[in-house]
Amino acid sequence: MQEQYDAVVVGSGAGGAMAAWVLASKGLRVLMLEAGRHYDPYRETPMFAVNRDAPLRGTGTPDKEFGYYDATVDGGWEVPGEPYASAPGSEFMWWRSRMLGGRTNHWARNSFRMGPYDFKPRSRDGLGVDWPIEYEDLAPWYDRTETVVGVYGRNDGLENHPDSSPGVLHKPPAPRVGELLIQAACNELKIPCIPARRAVLTRPIDNRSACFYATGCGRGCAIGAAFQTTTSLIPMALATGKLTIVTDAMVYEVRLNDEGKAEGVGYVDKITGKHEAAFGRSVVLAASAGETARILLNSKSESFPDGAANSSGQVGRNLMDTVGAAMGAQFPLLENRPTYNEDGAMGMHMYIPFWLYKEQARGELDFARGYHYEFGADGRAEPGMGIAHIAGFAGGYGRKLKEDMRRYYGSFLDFVCRGEMIPNAGSRCEIDPDSKDRWGIPTLRFHFKWSDHELNMVRHFQKATKEIIERLGGKLQSGDVSPEQAISKGGQIIHEVGTTRMGDDSATSVTNQYGQTWDVRNLFVADGGVFASKAHKNPTLTIMALAWRSSDYLAEQLGKRSL
Amino acid sequence: MSSGSDNRIRVDRRTTIKWLAATMAVAHTGCATTEKYLGDEIPPAPDKLLGSAGAPGNVRYGTDADLVNPVVPWSRTMTEAQLRIASSLCDVIVPEDGRSPAASAVGVPDFIDEWVSAPYPQQRSDREIILAGLEWLEQQSQDRFGSSFAAAGVPQQAQLLDDIAYPADAVPGLAEQVEFFERFRYLTVGAFYTTEAGTNDIGYIGNVAIKGEYPGPSDEALAHLAGVLEQLGLSLPA
Repeated sequence: MQEQYDAVVVGSGAGGAMAAWVLASKGLRVLMLEAGRHYDPYRETPMFAVNRDAPLRGTGTPDKEFGYYDATVDGGWEVPGEPYASAPGSEFMWWRSRMLGGRTNHWARNSFRMGPYDFKPRSRDGLGVDWPIEYEDLAPWYDRTETVVGVYGRNDGLENHPDSSPGVLHKPPAPRVGELLIQAACNELKIPCIPARRAVLTRPIDNRSACFYATGCGRGCAIGAAFQTTTSLIPMALATGKLTIVTDAMVYEVRLNDEGKAEGVGYVDKITGKHEAAFGRSVVLAASAGETARILLNSKSESFPDGAANSSGQVGRNLMDTVGAAMGAQFPLLENRPTYNEDGAMGMHMYIPFWLYKEQARGELDFARGYHYEFGADGRAEPGMGIAHIAGFAGGYGRKLKEDMRRYYGSFLDFVCRGEMIPNAGSRCEIDPDSKDRWGIPTLRFHFKWSDHELNMVRHFQKATKEIIERLGGKLQSGDVSPEQAISKGGQIIHEVGTTRMGDDSATSVTNQYGQTWDVRNLFVADGGVFASKAHKNPTLTIMALAWRSSDYLAEQLGKRSL
Repeated sequence: MSSGSDNRIRVDRRTTIKWLAATMAVAHTGCATTEKYLGDEIPPAPDKLLGSAGAPGNVRYGTDADLVNPVVPWSRTMTEAQLRIASSLCDVIVPEDGRSPAASAVGVPDFIDEWVSAPYPQQRSDREIILAGLEWLEQQSQDRFGSSFAAAGVPQQAQLLDDIAYPADAVPGLAEQVEFFERFRYLTVGAFYTTEAGTNDIGYIGNVAIKGEYPGPSDEALAHLAGVLEQLGLSLPA
């Protein structure tokens, strides 16, 4: 007789780990299945390792796209033996990670709350759909999530950028020279430039230390300062004694019983190659928006010929990613500036939140949604091979070049656009009829396109950025390119969401406000798939807050035996 | 100009006609010599001046390498002669000065060997450019100065590089060599400034744990910024 858990959670990233911890801490017995291998950040993180000690000075390769030290195991834009495709005319990039903790081991840790407007976009501009909840419904869980995760930032009381409750946020680190320079220009241009919010501790929480301002967060954080589930939620859940973790378990279907309820999942044990099953009173899918949609679409049965929980036909649709664009400039006034330790929290200290809501509401902009700026302002970062671009900028060779390297190092700043995409019918994923992975599981094919709203947003970003650069006497280095050339490829920002969206109506959404699928009442989704819209704010914090809220509801229902 | 070009136009099939055309364009070799290679027939590949690098393998570090104990799993492939020219060229690009040593003193030539011997697409592409470029440079040096590039004087080395180091003023027809210099300089500079000596030279002083709060810019850095803002007519944010 197979063991039966209260919940089978698929995935160990932001959503899965949050669900597992919340459920386990309420005394429920949880099985977590992770498609990748076990990962021990305390033993495997290359803290303080320098580029010169890595092959090719740490440069990214097809084996490690984000560089040798990046905390991605068996993943990247391609996973060996696990293909995906883009439909003709589309180009979509899908970042996966096959390790305990998933992509939380390497993420940028940028953590912005969605605001009141972000949950009701259709009410505001008639586009896309509203969420079934309001900001106020999620606000308590944002507070709780930020408290457990640890987020630095400041309450600035800005429109649609909600404050946290008093005492929740950690003190943000002091701005650096590049950030102060940009802030000075913004102050004059009436653009807000305020402390960023990142899931990095600046005071300790339990056995997680405060940031010591060194060694990149993307390689993982063995002191637990930069949030990842493998140093926080997963150990916390294990400490309850209620969580069992099985790694190398590639889930490919939700198994339904005769009553149409989920009885568990089927998975391939990647070590033995055998097909296995796990059983529970409930199933929580948190495998990532793409992988969760794939599991549902592959779970075909008589009652669900188009995949489990897909009576609406919405599974795989409404795929969104963040709008990305970047511009770089060189600032002569920053040449030969005095050196100091500019590592900081190894990510942004300051950012520009979207500031044109009133203009947008008055119809003065030709795009409907917001964007924010992220900066690459740590101009005196540890040299990697990329520092050679300074030589390309300076030209020549010899002692003059060595002088120029010193002169220009730290005189470049990058401006990055992160914007909201509106869901469109041309952006979705589906099962590819012609492809299976190494275990015989049908794979995904992506369709993706941007609309004029996103392209016009990029055009606005380009113009606004040029104004800032010009005000600071900078020289644009990224060239004059069209928005079509400048905009990121679908999936490239690794914020894919929306494929199992939540809503008020079972005909147009996959889940209700608790991530509970309309069709299978003991089947839940706790990853970015449930997003009804994709605010410009980086999604991980919201994934965790929603996963917590949904898990509270799930636990309540399990307690009432009402599933 | 040097004599003996008959024997010195040593171009294998890989570098082929485009390199010959480029050599022609700088017009340091006799036309008669090159013309006979520009016909339909490509002669059998003669030995190269710098020898042939070993075939690069397919050993990768894989998608789950040990990040704490990094190793380069592939073998180096450059010949001693290629490394000698690479070493000289590195040092022309990054020479010793009062602040830091020359590139060859901190292992940059070996890194270039590591790079061009790697199994990945970018490095394979660079390999073609780098090895052909080193051969071209040596050929040019021997043709023009009757001396290996490694033994040529700094003025002679500079004379060769100035044909290709400044894209806007490069000798026409040398696009491939301009690309070679750009890539070689990229590797040299990237490798040098990631060494301890290079990192110290350029003034990177991070990667150390700080106890307590991040202190932000030093007083000196803030004073400099204040001066910058004053020039711009902006005020230091509160």
